[in-house]
Amino acid sequence: MFELSREGIEFVKKEMTRYETKRSAVIPCLFRVQKENGGWVSPESIAYLAQLMDVPERWVQEVATFYTMFNKQPVGKYHVQVCCNISCAMAGGREMTDKICQSLGVEEGAVSKDRRYTVSRVECLGSCGTAPMMQVNDDYYENLSADKAVKILRELE
Amino acid sequence: METKLLSQHYDKPEYVSLKGYLNLGGYEVLKRALKMEPKAIIDEVKASGLRGRGGAGFPTGTKWTFLPENGEPRYLLCNADEGEPGTFKDRIMLERAPHQLIEGMIISAFAVKSAKSYIYVRGEYQMCIRKLEKAIREAYDAGFLGKNILGSGFTHDMDVYSGAGAYICGEETGMISSLEGKKGQPKLKPPFPAVQGYLAKPTIVNNVETLAAVSLILRDGAAAYRKFGTEKSPGTKLFSVSGNVKKPGVYEVPLGYPLADLIQVECGGLDPGRRLKAVIPGGSSAPVLTAEEAMKATMDYECLQGMGTMLGSGAVIVIDDSNCMVDLLKVIMHFYHHESCGQCTPCREGTGWLHKIVHSIVSGEGRLQDVDLIPRVSRQMMGRTICALSDAAAMPAISFVEKFRDEFEFFVREGRSKVKGHLHA
Amino acid sequence: MPKVKLNGKEIEVKPGTMLIDAFKQAGEDIAHYCYHPGLPTAGVCRLCMVEIEGNPRMQIACNTVVTEGMSARNNSDKVKEAVRWGLNFHLINHPLDCPICDQAGECGLQDQYMKFGKYTPEMSEQKVKKRKVVSLGERVVLDSERCILCSRCVRFTSEITKTNELGIFNRGDHAEIGTFEDKPLNNNYSMNTVDICPVGALTSKDFRFRQRVWYLKDASSICTGCSTGCKIRVYYNEEGLFRIKPEHNPEVNGYWMCDKGRDIYKHVNPEARLQEARWGQVGNWQVKDIAEALREAGEAIRASVRDSHHSKVALVLTGQQTLEELTAAVKFFLSDLNSRDIYHWINNPEEMEKFDGLLFRGDRNPNTKGLLSLLASEKVSATWAQLEGKLNSHEIETLMVVGPEDPGVFPDLAAKLKLFAKAKRLVWLSSARVAAVDQVTTATWQIPLKSFFEKDGTLVNAQGRKQTLRKIATLIPAAVSVDQAVAVMSGREKAVPMGKFELNWKKTNFFVGERGSL
Repeated sequence: MFELSREGIEFVKKEMTRYETKRSAVIPCLFRVQKENGGWVSPESIAYLAQLMDVPERWVQEVATFYTMFNKQPVGKYHVQVCCNISCAMAGGREMTDKICQSLGVEEGAVSKDRRYTVSRVECLGSCGTAPMMQVNDDYYENLSADKAVKILRELE
Repeated sequence: METKLLSQHYDKPEYVSLKGYLNLGGYEVLKRALKMEPKAIIDEVKASGLRGRGGAGFPTGTKWTFLPENGEPRYLLCNADEGEPGTFKDRIMLERAPHQLIEGMIISAFAVKSAKSYIYVRGEYQMCIRKLEKAIREAYDAGFLGKNILGSGFTHDMDVYSGAGAYICGEETGMISSLEGKKGQPKLKPPFPAVQGYLAKPTIVNNVETLAAVSLILRDGAAAYRKFGTEKSPGTKLFSVSGNVKKPGVYEVPLGYPLADLIQVECGGLDPGRRLKAVIPGGSSAPVLTAEEAMKATMDYECLQGMGTMLGSGAVIVIDDSNCMVDLLKVIMHFYHHESCGQCTPCREGTGWLHKIVHSIVSGEGRLQDVDLIPRVSRQMMGRTICALSDAAAMPAISFVEKFRDEFEFFVREGRSKVKGHLHA
Repeated sequence: MPKVKLNGKEIEVKPGTMLIDAFKQAGEDIAHYCYHPGLPTAGVCRLCMVEIEGNPRMQIACNTVVTEGMSARNNSDKVKEAVRWGLNFHLINHPLDCPICDQAGECGLQDQYMKFGKYTPEMSEQKVKKRKVVSLGERVVLDSERCILCSRCVRFTSEITKTNELGIFNRGDHAEIGTFEDKPLNNNYSMNTVDICPVGALTSKDFRFRQRVWYLKDASSICTGCSTGCKIRVYYNEEGLFRIKPEHNPEVNGYWMCDKGRDIYKHVNPEARLQEARWGQVGNWQVKDIAEALREAGEAIRASVRDSHHSKVALVLTGQQTLEELTAAVKFFLSDLNSRDIYHWINNPEEMEKFDGLLFRGDRNPNTKGLLSLLASEKVSATWAQLEGKLNSHEIETLMVVGPEDPGVFPDLAAKLKLFAKAKRLVWLSSARVAAVDQVTTATWQIPLKSFFEKDGTLVNAQGRKQTLRKIATLIPAAVSVDQAVAVMSGREKAVPMGKFELNWKKTNFFVGERGSL
């Protein structure tokens, strides 16, 4: 059974009155749920949040499935998102993704055996002038090469 | 030559903090503005000819006058959902000058008589969100936000809202839907946001750069602002330059600046031995220019429109001869297919279809008639939907095929790229 | 009243009319899927394109309010091309599984392709695969591949029932309608989503695979499932009735009806019906000619009155019959028999006043209001307790009961029959075959009645609105209406006009050229 921490519940309660409507809190609260659920939103956690906020489950489910930052599958401790949009593709972003997957021994989109990594190809992250780049959880790493990226990922805590 | 009006202090780390911002003259314009009549501010912005910097280039002052005379509450939303591929200027502005935006927003809110504003930032820009939240707290503490700002009687609250990963939320009504806690699907127009926007209340949505420019215009006056740029495209603009140039980055130049100079002078030109093949002048939605066209282009609304493309968000993507245009179109079509919100049929189905056709070609399974099918499908996606995403997918598709037809035909016939040394060659 | 010119035709419309409705009013074809007059506008299918004079961009007619002097057309080459491509976009990922699709014959995609499409498909790539045969509760089945994402069903559950079960999940061409974790869509209005689905994405578990729609006839009627009296359309052929859908009536039900009302055809079909007159009691029943049975029953009733100083007869009525029928029975007792022993059988007293706020009422009788006003106007004030007293003390010799058309809404049926059996003789009139009646221990005539499908008459709904029921066809030749029965029982008539089974058409005659769901 998924449940938010006491602080998490406090957060939800606060967000529900922060905006003009309760519904606006669905997105920020879902981020919180994702964080406390190990990086993804499970159906169970969606049902939990809907109940906590007293909103229809479909409101939460629609949001969860519409936005790409909500992971509908479990992810590794480090969610590595490599931009493969135009400027990054021109700078080798796609080849870098392949190299990262190969070096870390993880299939694209899956969780590595040691549960440390999930590598995904993503769309433009607004870092086109410093391509190629990757986002690891909340942080950007820019002006990369495949080797540099692999090194950074290996050296993460 | 770079003309740093907005970005004058972007290289100073202290500009991020309230203290540093105040030391460099910050919030002085706000103090003056609060003593003006709101209408006088709107008139000044109108006189400056400032056009929306988000992509559509709509005159900002005119947009503000679409608000009904009365009607409370009314909202001001700052669009910081920067997502147009190739664009990263808003991120630089948020990271380096959060107070510049906040000041511009308070002035704009005062002008349009709004008591509440939100800055909608794309969810991936977590660092920007943290900086903005800190800056807003500082502004509250200093009395620039909240009740009775600087004794003017004007009250304004400001908050930050994080997106969650959807390009379509950069469309103003998609953003409003998202801020309402829903899927970021654009709303039917009419009614327009200025009449019925956020929670069906009058709402103004402006881009980060637009709102920041408002305080600049009030500081120097519309006439001084108009000294830069062209008659129809006054002022300066931040351009995000990426792709095959030596020094990609954000450059502020007057509108009307030659694209060739931007590439050669500001960005240091191409890598040695490479030839320019094409330039996308306004983000991935803008029709591509051939090298020849690019060399003649100036970076303003009217010149680019005249060349069949657009200034968009000012994202310049420079493409040299090592790139395969078929491959790049596949990347672009993947993007729009991925980002279509799915409500309007021509866009939902069209973006997927276009992506599949280009994918077939790149996979060596293309048919010769596919080369014509791309622009034919694209044309039927234009002007048919609630928002412009469908057009945004169609325009690059048409221009890529029409201007680089030989590369597409070669790929279909040979099953490989025409570009020597390319991944798909 | 604004005047507008549509495809050159000049018409006058009500202020505030949507352009799409104006086109319909003018009798001009206009393509559309997502637009539904009973739902908020979505404007997503992009098919109702029009060119409006003075506007260079094509507009959608469903989001354009008509203004004075507006001139619009949708028969220009430009609009026709846009509509053709609009259909093309709708169909590129549609599975085209018409041969196994229940919607075939009344499908918006088929109809509009024939009317506005007729292009040659050009997509050679794989279609998007989505979920098929997803059960959404007791009544509805979802096929996501067929869905064109018009969002009608989603808008229905969010704006009309406000139950919010349905949503559109994911985005782009992977978007799918559904419920959270396939939870059942078991609200009492779920079948309206099937009605308004313009394609075969949502189909009815009750109806699917039972008939091809082109083998069905249809006719307008009134729902007898509760006292709201929704306007309905009944679909039937020589094998009986197959389904019921709502018909638009702005005064009563708008565009909708409840799921419970959909089931009323089941007790009208022959297998649920009392097919002939019978005489006898438990263990010993004989079939009788209907006229003979009525003459005997009438004689027994009249004898009970004639041979006695005080009334030894009683009449029990329900709110299930038409006003004309109830009036005939009441007049029979008041005038012919000089008896005021007339009682109202309330089948579900605790539920009678309930209302769900939308359409469904706890009073599961179509004509309670009619019965009550009739009894009031005739100043009949006998109480049910009085009847119980009389039956328990065996004061009633012959009891006439006009029983339920739908035994399913009479939970007290078996108990009441035990009570009725305390009369020496029972005259039981009902359209339904009721097993408990076969168990009565008193001498009983069972008289088959006509159902709502087979008779004319008036029903008074909960709002007090008189609504007219029209005979559609006869299913049970021996069945009579109550007034026909009373005419014979009272001795005024010797025989009843014999009904004729009227559903004996050849299937090929049933073909319906176009039955759209739009």
